[in-house]
Amino acid sequence: METFNNFLGGTAALFGDPVGIFIFLGGVIGGMLFGAIPGVSMLTLAAILLPFTAHLSPEHGIMLFSVIYCTGVYGGAITAILFNIPGAPENAPTAFDGYPMTLQGKAGKAVGAAVMCSAIGGTVSCVIMMFATAAIADWAISAFGPPEIFALVFFGLAVAASVGAKTFWKGWLSIMAGLMIAVVGLDPVGGIERYNFDMPYLAAGIHFIPTILGFFAVSEIFVQAEKKATGAYKAPKLSVDFPTFKELWAHKIAVVRSIIIGFFCGILPGIGATLAAFMGYNEAARWSKDRLKFGTGQIEGVISSETANNSATGAAMIPLLALGLPGGALTAMMVGVFQMHDMEPGPLVFLNSPDLVWVVFAAMFFANLSILLVGFLEAKTIVNLLRIPFQYLAPMILLLATVGAYAVRGLTIDIVVMFVAGVAGFFLRRSGYSVAGIILGLILGKIGEQTFAQAMQMLHFEFSGFLSRPIALGLLIAGAITIFGSIYGAFFKKQPVPTAAQDDSAQSL
Amino acid sequence: MNRLNISHKIEVAFWLLLVGFFFYHSFEFDREIEIYKYGATLWPRTILLLIALAAIGQLLDQRKNGDRSSSNTMAAAHEDSAQDSEIGGLPWYLNTFVLLAIPFFYMNLSALLSLPVVQPFLPEGFNAALPVDDPGSGPVKITCAVVLFVAYLIISWRNHVGAILALPIFFAALLDDFGFYALAPVFIIGVMILMGERRITRMAMIMPLIFGLLLAFFVSLLYVGLPTGNVKPFYTFGNWIVTVLQ
Repeated sequence: METFNNFLGGTAALFGDPVGIFIFLGGVIGGMLFGAIPGVSMLTLAAILLPFTAHLSPEHGIMLFSVIYCTGVYGGAITAILFNIPGAPENAPTAFDGYPMTLQGKAGKAVGAAVMCSAIGGTVSCVIMMFATAAIADWAISAFGPPEIFALVFFGLAVAASVGAKTFWKGWLSIMAGLMIAVVGLDPVGGIERYNFDMPYLAAGIHFIPTILGFFAVSEIFVQAEKKATGAYKAPKLSVDFPTFKELWAHKIAVVRSIIIGFFCGILPGIGATLAAFMGYNEAARWSKDRLKFGTGQIEGVISSETANNSATGAAMIPLLALGLPGGALTAMMVGVFQMHDMEPGPLVFLNSPDLVWVVFAAMFFANLSILLVGFLEAKTIVNLLRIPFQYLAPMILLLATVGAYAVRGLTIDIVVMFVAGVAGFFLRRSGYSVAGIILGLILGKIGEQTFAQAMQMLHFEFSGFLSRPIALGLLIAGAITIFGSIYGAFFKKQPVPTAAQDDSAQSL
Repeated sequence: MNRLNISHKIEVAFWLLLVGFFFYHSFEFDREIEIYKYGATLWPRTILLLIALAAIGQLLDQRKNGDRSSSNTMAAAHEDSAQDSEIGGLPWYLNTFVLLAIPFFYMNLSALLSLPVVQPFLPEGFNAALPVDDPGSGPVKITCAVVLFVAYLIISWRNHVGAILALPIFFAALLDDFGFYALAPVFIIGVMILMGERRITRMAMIMPLIFGLLLAFFVSLLYVGLPTGNVKPFYTFGNWIVTVLQ
């Protein structure tokens, strides 16, 4: 009852203030638009707005960022589905099936599923966040130290290797390539430069934004351009037929499973929505009867990925507000907003600024609900982008990606890196490798190495220390079983005959 | 039964060479870290070992099952990869490699002009480092860019896909010197032509539309600073646009 009263108080404070309403609506629309514009993302918007939050009250500043976070994660699904360009890494698995659906003329259904499931995942996650922040934060933080987070990363990579590429081996090699890209730069313990080849740019490591833009957006343009050149190009069919309630209800188990996975991943600092989306997708593929059709335009793929990544947004606020630990780039910027107002996120925020906490919780709840209303309207209009002929869309996307890559650090070399990644992605996709696997390896590589180093220091460099940590041990065993199961399958199982689902849409990864 | 073909062997050779290359260079940072006995090399070397194992595993799998080896969850998504394409073959790859190398020639212009073979052809006192504040650098950069662009056009004449792959990298390589504002219109037209547009009136209408929308949104509205270049008159043009829009 106390929680409900607090929520009502937060809602009254949010909507009783015209400035608050204006900022809330600005965040909802801004997050969706920036998430949906190819080449830029909610992070671009957040980075642009960060200096201006100094002029806002702390409540408004944090509320604005939390609203952008919720709607931006959804917004990225639109470009993932329509153009195979994930707005953010957490939307990457959405593209796996969303884009093939677009090519099959089912863009409306995919976008509709993304709208519904983003709203459901985010809203449920918000409700759990309100009721359980303190308890869950206590448990997760005490139960999940570096060994467990490393084990979770290992498990996530092991599962991701088994999907996404043409074969298990290519999936594994894709992930390892991503991990190697992440090695470039400074080592996380001693700050020693690795593989910089005397180039100052490489000393800072390869930034993941240009790499993501290259592997997804640019390589997609190249793939379509090749089809244009060889006469195999087919324009995506336009559709605004949203999925029926019955169609979505058929996947209720996938929704519930993805909410749980998303929430659990979101709560862990440094893991967040990206692993949530990949794991939500992977588990959907693992448990589906149509396992082999995943990647060819299964609505369940979109549902599971979008539910999981939005479910992670509410959960990501728990370590941020309860312990001051950001789970990703946007929550890290929120720490910046706190600091600009001479505040530190952490347990004291609940004691000293309960109003702020509940205004933020209420704003996130309503932002997720507004995805349903504004999202459908936005989707109806933005799907029409598919009417633009590809020869005009291609330069637009390439230039947007150029601006997006340059805006990160103001370095033209980032643009070169992006286009080189695009060429690499083009050739890797032709050979059946998974660009999504490379990106996952790149993003989780740094976390994996850092937590491994911390874990080994914690365990006094004894690998047997993992045996005394049941969660870490369980995750490591599960990961090992996944890998050895795939290897066993590769050598000893009879290979399945390809299905009829291999239409032209399939070359989406 | 041995079902290996030449592309399987090239693939495994590529991965193993990559492993060898990175393993060799890992000795450059093989130093002790006081608080971490595994140092900075354990992680990358473990990854390299796993890459080598996966590459060999893939080879053995392909030897047994050929191209249908261990189909994955998303195998179907890749079935048309590289099958219906007209591109491929050694000449195509060589031609594309040369095309992709052209932008890097420009990016390493100073190093190329410093080569002993090139030195006799340069005027006395010429600064091969091409500093931004040297008025003599601009014409050299423009000339080299034009020469390389002509080379790009000639080499890509029969290689449409290679031209598409190389053009954006070429565009990116020139950005530092010639700026976004001068190059973007040319780039838009270039991409449209490569994507099959041939109607001049359409291109004349669409190019300013795309360019104008981008500038209005990013430069005018969001104040995003894009590269203005450092070679006159491109630098002057870029600054003029920024001044007008902001």
